[in-house]
Amino acid sequence: MLQHNWILSLHPLTKFYFSLSITISVFIVSSYWYAMAMFGICLILALWAGVQKAFLQNVLLALGFLLIVLFLMQAFFYPGNQVIWKLGFLSMKAEGIHYGLIMATRILAIGSAFILFFKITAVRDFVKALEDIGLPPMGAYVVLSTLQIIPEMRKQSRVIMDAQRARGVETEGNVWVRAKAFIPILTPLILSSIASTEERAITLESRAFLTKNKKTSLYKLSKGPLDHVLPIAFVVILVGLLIGRVLG
Amino acid sequence: MKRKIKDDFNIMAMLLIPVGVAINIVGFQIASVLKLPIFLDTIGTILIGVIAGPWVAVLAGLVTNLINGIFNPVWFPYAIVSIAIGFVTGLLTRKGMFQNIPKALISAVIITFITIITSAPITVLVYGGATGNTSALITATFLAAGQQIWSAVFSSTIITEVGDKIISVMIVYFIVRLMSDRYLSKLNYGHLYMKRKK
Repeated sequence: MLQHNWILSLHPLTKFYFSLSITISVFIVSSYWYAMAMFGICLILALWAGVQKAFLQNVLLALGFLLIVLFLMQAFFYPGNQVIWKLGFLSMKAEGIHYGLIMATRILAIGSAFILFFKITAVRDFVKALEDIGLPPMGAYVVLSTLQIIPEMRKQSRVIMDAQRARGVETEGNVWVRAKAFIPILTPLILSSIASTEERAITLESRAFLTKNKKTSLYKLSKGPLDHVLPIAFVVILVGLLIGRVLG
Repeated sequence: MKRKIKDDFNIMAMLLIPVGVAINIVGFQIASVLKLPIFLDTIGTILIGVIAGPWVAVLAGLVTNLINGIFNPVWFPYAIVSIAIGFVTGLLTRKGMFQNIPKALISAVIITFITIITSAPITVLVYGGATGNTSALITATFLAAGQQIWSAVFSSTIITEVGDKIISVMIVYFIVRLMSDRYLSKLNYGHLYMKRKK
């Protein structure tokens, strides 16, 4: 990973605390301008780290449709009586628009904070950081091997689909025809991948994965000065916001 | 015989988790490639619950939502649903509730019920009734027909979940039937499904 970019080279936990702070702060400050600003900050950080394109794409794909539906649902169906606009028997109310905006921007802020986190942090680094603070090695293994198995199984499912099509299983047509194709694709996929767990268990055992001794790791994460300052800064900001909320 | 939580976690059970999570995710993708109107995204969790017990299935459900959450954070709050499905499936398997088709059907109904009472509140409280898929349109239709938000979300969740969970459980039932005795004997709950009884 690029080491000269200071955002990318932060410790994974520091980045995680940042996303967590944004999540907590949008619940302390219930204003949609604030939540929009938090999305803005995420966008600026993404630009800074050079991941803006992937970041925006992911935000749009993951949240776009949900946010529109969520906003419209609140705007039309939230109880209220200040009618702003009427469409047949549906009416858009001011209270609904306000509530919908708060809800939608809040989800936008939290969602983009976590999308940003995973765009600037390699999962491998994050899992290693968790292992350093006490996640058992087995847990780390489970998460990382899951990430490896998924693309493998996806490829295999395509192979099985082609093979079954070659033997005459219809995969196109009406719902019933397509539903019937599901079983002959899924069953071999599950049975073959489950059978491989046995070999993996033997491999791990033969490499002393299950010993109780302390394990050494060739891969190490280090903390810079910023990683010591930033978490404290996040806590101070959150406490400040909370005090502002109580007094304000 | 009283089982401790630790007893469920042998190495075979732990290695099943990645496979189960992958089945959840790939199963969902196959269902969308085939343009099926249901999700089929909990087959792996239910399968693990049936052959490896409640605690392992709880972890599988949690990991599924964490991994999905990497790409779409909307999934994070629904981790509670996956965890509940895994746990209940595991408890049902201890009671021998997946040993024949009528019992499996009753289990499917119970799992559906658990899914509905855990997922509908998340949809209402976290997302105001909206979800990123077609069930939001069903909810909107109920709302337009004059229903309140809670009953609208419950109705649309029932419509989307009943078929999904019953089909998922039946698929798991038939897959466990297809497993060899040699493999089942290595799993904590495999003896329940072995064809040759001791």
